[in-house]
Amino acid sequence: MSEAMNIAPLARGSQWKQRFLQPLLRQRSAMAGLAILAIYVVAAVCAPWLATHDPTAQDLMAALQGPSAAHWLGTDSYGQDLYSRLLYGAQLALIIGFASVALGLVVGVAIGLAAGLMGGRTEWVLMRIVDGLLAFPELILAMAFMAVLGLGTENVVYALALSFVGPFARMTRGDVLQVKNQPYIEAARLMGVGTAAVIWRHVLPNVVSPILVQAGMRISIAILLESGLSFLGIGVVPPTPDWGLMIAEGRAFITMAPWISGVPGVALAILLVALNLLGDGLRDAFDPTTQKDA
Amino acid sequence: MFQAVSARLAQTLLVLLIVSAASFAFLKLAPGDPVSIMLGSDYSQASYDKLTHELGLDQPIVLQYGRWLADFVRGDWGTSYITNQDIFELAVLQALPVTLTLAALSLLIALVVGIPTGVLAALYRNSWIDVLATTLAIGGNAFPSFYLGIILIWLFGVDLGWFPVLGFVAPWEDFWQGLWHLVLPAVTLGAWYVGLIARITRSSLLEVLGQPYILAAKARGEPGWRVVWVHGMRNVLMPLVTVIGLQLGGMLRGAVMTEVVFALPGLGMMVTTAVLNREYIVVQAGIMLTGLLFVAVNLAVDQTYQFLDPRLRRR
Amino acid sequence: MDCAVALTPQAADMPASPPPLLEVRDFSLRRGQAVVLDGVNLALHPGETLGLIGESGAGKSTLALALIGLLRAPEVQLQGSLRFRGTELTQLREADYRRLRGNKIGLIFQDATAALNPCFTVGEQIAEPLKRHLGLSKWDRRDRAAALMQSVGIPEPRLRLDAYPHELSGGMQQRVMIAVALACNPELLLADEPTSALDVTIQAQIMELILDRVRALNSSAVFVLHDLALGAQVCDRIAVMYAGQIVEEGPSDRVLAAPLHPYTRGLKSCVVELGSRMLEPIPGQVPPLNAMPAGCRFAPRCPKAKAICSEQRPLAEIHDGRQVACWFID
Repeated sequence: MSEAMNIAPLARGSQWKQRFLQPLLRQRSAMAGLAILAIYVVAAVCAPWLATHDPTAQDLMAALQGPSAAHWLGTDSYGQDLYSRLLYGAQLALIIGFASVALGLVVGVAIGLAAGLMGGRTEWVLMRIVDGLLAFPELILAMAFMAVLGLGTENVVYALALSFVGPFARMTRGDVLQVKNQPYIEAARLMGVGTAAVIWRHVLPNVVSPILVQAGMRISIAILLESGLSFLGIGVVPPTPDWGLMIAEGRAFITMAPWISGVPGVALAILLVALNLLGDGLRDAFDPTTQKDA
Repeated sequence: MFQAVSARLAQTLLVLLIVSAASFAFLKLAPGDPVSIMLGSDYSQASYDKLTHELGLDQPIVLQYGRWLADFVRGDWGTSYITNQDIFELAVLQALPVTLTLAALSLLIALVVGIPTGVLAALYRNSWIDVLATTLAIGGNAFPSFYLGIILIWLFGVDLGWFPVLGFVAPWEDFWQGLWHLVLPAVTLGAWYVGLIARITRSSLLEVLGQPYILAAKARGEPGWRVVWVHGMRNVLMPLVTVIGLQLGGMLRGAVMTEVVFALPGLGMMVTTAVLNREYIVVQAGIMLTGLLFVAVNLAVDQTYQFLDPRLRRR
Repeated sequence: MDCAVALTPQAADMPASPPPLLEVRDFSLRRGQAVVLDGVNLALHPGETLGLIGESGAGKSTLALALIGLLRAPEVQLQGSLRFRGTELTQLREADYRRLRGNKIGLIFQDATAALNPCFTVGEQIAEPLKRHLGLSKWDRRDRAAALMQSVGIPEPRLRLDAYPHELSGGMQQRVMIAVALACNPELLLADEPTSALDVTIQAQIMELILDRVRALNSSAVFVLHDLALGAQVCDRIAVMYAGQIVEEGPSDRVLAAPLHPYTRGLKSCVVELGSRMLEPIPGQVPPLNAMPAGCRFAPRCPKAKAICSEQRPLAEIHDGRQVACWFID
């Protein structure tokens, strides 16, 4: 999250408050989303202290048990404690979600800035690459990258990040092209301000809020894709505590032990709802192009 | 007019070229050496070089791409190492129809449920119907389809036994049996779309109903249902088609998950299996095919615009 | 081919004093706390034209929408009576009201570009009331729609039937709107600023056209206008509205020649005439709907206001054949 926020050169607190916090505070559903997200973040951060078991410790004697005093949310077919796995799963989901979006954002924004500011052949080539990335649905793209990169947590982050580069690059370029021709940019250049300074001081602040809105909305997609990939068996590898893996594992035991897939499934659904609420709130608050129903 | 069409055509050709180049690049990037895979574990350097030459892998990359593209266009997509099946047959004739049928049926369900929900929510704004519709919309949109599929299998397949749990029967072979097998998958995939369609219907209809031409229709003595469903909804179709087109990526994402959960032999299942088996040539076919599907749908959406909005038609 | 002239009741057998086609009595309209229309009294006889004159926000358009039944409970609260051909409109069931709209009462909107549905051809929109109210067959509707377009001066109507609104100019769109409103030979035509969205050069043409058609059909018409001089020129009677009330109502020539209400006088002196005396704007602004003065609503801006004006509401008095709501009619 910090990476995404650092892009914004809005260091002064009051300005940040005015532009981001106040419009958001006006929306109740967005605040509810934020509150739920906060609970997940706390659970993820405090997982080592909140967990009752080692999330990957197997105890076949205690397999397929329902919720009990020993295992608050029951156990899976390997006897792993679902409550502890849920907490560590939240950690993994949030880390992968934020990290992949942040990485995709940094690369995408860099490509978009380069294309928009340099123009000419560089722009043409960069944007054709972006077109290539945008020509495929995200999941297919992520699956292809996973096939190339191989399984594992880190590769999931890279694969997702790569599949997010396209939208960020296209958005940034569009915004840059709009800002580039504004008189004040021309004026700054004439006054001898260097290119880097112009980008940092004048271009980025103008493109930052639509991009952050986009990033906020992408995080829920990232988490959905991550758990989906793991569910398909082409993401994170067992026994890592991952919700997608847990749901896949519980699928076989749905009639005798519905809690195995139910615990991560419901947790994932609630998190996604919260992120969607927050994303909608962000969009309504900062994106003037979307129509709001009064 | 000719200029606009030819520009559009050139743009589409460029995108197709990029799609094919990306698919080709995928195979080049994929780990493993196809020659050694094909030769098995025991081979001599001479036979290795021979096969490399036969496959044209010693030629410049651009030539290799050209040959690959020519083969692709001819429908010569290679053969699966594992099943020995022709990949064109596997992907285009077997998997694609399954995915398209699933997608079409889900979209139908989503439209049939989503549009009336959105209209009711708009007409009774801020009532309990609106709250319920909005809640369902947000919930349905966020609920991961693979978990929803599992729940539906459990409830309606196993527990109640109303629907078959797994497998696929082609509706073009046995219509009712095929439909029967597709109900749960289509509901799973459609649930995601329902929310989206309900939301966009609601907000677009609210905007349209505030327009003077709606008041004018009432002033002509048109009854309320006609004002909403004919004069209003006719103008809501545009944003609706836009969103349906824009969310195709989400649709395909859901389709992959749904196919795997319900064991439907569609494109998603094909690609997933191929990735797990490291059969990159099949993965490539899947990538290329979804890319083409994307381009085709975008073109179709553009054409639909002109059909739906007379202001975009050329005189 | 022209449209048949409708047989209105008075044409058959005219009594000594024909009953008014439209009678508005003590009519008030409230939107929540705001009293948008307050105690409006009007009568319109068959064949008569009436101009509702006033600044924007005076309630003219609201009155027109209330007359055609597009502003009703529960959206707004109505009081008093609206009688059309002896029928009490405020108590009318929605299904019955619908049979009047576009049939016996037609409405021309201010901005035809916005009031024509962009997704339907103009032929379809003209034919709609023909199907709904007259039950004409598809081919009869087409013939009749083409004839209507001809009658409002659209050249080559057969070709234009299948045109979409955006393919026509603003003036042509307004002609289509007029054709729609007149499709079923209404006895009452309401025209809400029918020319103010048009180019100045064609405003007179369109006004002339509406008057021509109204006379040809022997209908009555209510024009909503903001221009006192135009209103007096076009209409038999004019009613000057201010902040939801009618302040002066009477025959056009007399109201224009010798306005009795201070507001009417103010309006008249706002008319710019080249070479005449200086423009005299009315000082101040229309009070907001939620903060109306208890007495005369014009009192805060009136040059002649006395104490009583801000305390008690003046009732309309019949004076010289007109009704005037002022404490100090000289």
